[in-house]
Amino acid sequence: MMAPSAPNTGSISNRIRTLRFHHGEMSQAELGERIGLTRQTIAAIEAGKYSPTLEAAFRIADVFNVQLGEVFQWDANASGRSQT
Amino acid sequence: MPYREKIAWLSLTAMALAYIPYFTIINAGYFPPRPMPDLHQIGFLGAVSVARVLLLGIGYLLIRHGSPQEASIPPDERDRAIESRSVGAAYYVLMAGMILVGCFMPFSSTGWAIVNATIFMIVVAEVVRYGLAVYNYRRQA
Repeated sequence: MMAPSAPNTGSISNRIRTLRFHHGEMSQAELGERIGLTRQTIAAIEAGKYSPTLEAAFRIADVFNVQLGEVFQWDANASGRSQT
Repeated sequence: MPYREKIAWLSLTAMALAYIPYFTIINAGYFPPRPMPDLHQIGFLGAVSVARVLLLGIGYLLIRHGSPQEASIPPDERDRAIESRSVGAAYYVLMAGMILVGCFMPFSSTGWAIVNATIFMIVVAEVVRYGLAVYNYRRQA
């Protein structure tokens, strides 16, 4: 019997910076305030150093009035870094 | 630097300033064994504990004064995730320490040796807790 293979490494990228720009240069603090996160957490999400909960991800998409997939993208082939 | 990272640094600093001198003095044999309860030791431990609380209180007020808006914001999901991870790791350290101190030390030591070993293990667990919090905040900064 074959052992289960290790999951592919991958990474989540996002377009939050671009979306903020297209929404009147919304600041990280303002976005954070609207969805109940701190400015530092938004900065960590934008930099790909922290993966938000599904709820927070939906809230971010909701602020920009777009689908979740337009904010976050999963790249299965990218070498992922460990995230919280 | 996030408000909660500052608090973690403060806790680590207060811990170091209070307990490094405490254990240095204890290990230097400044307090020779006396009959329990040994008021000298109790007084020393009390003074160190009060000093730590004062350091924490003053530091907390200074940090709060420096960023009052941030201090009023409740912890968000990332703060809670970091807290959960660091407390979880510290719990295992504390459990291991308590097993060592509570189950093995009574066979070889008595009195203040056991008390100080217990305090030491609590300090180590707290250092792990706040150290991991700082590490995680830095890693995600």
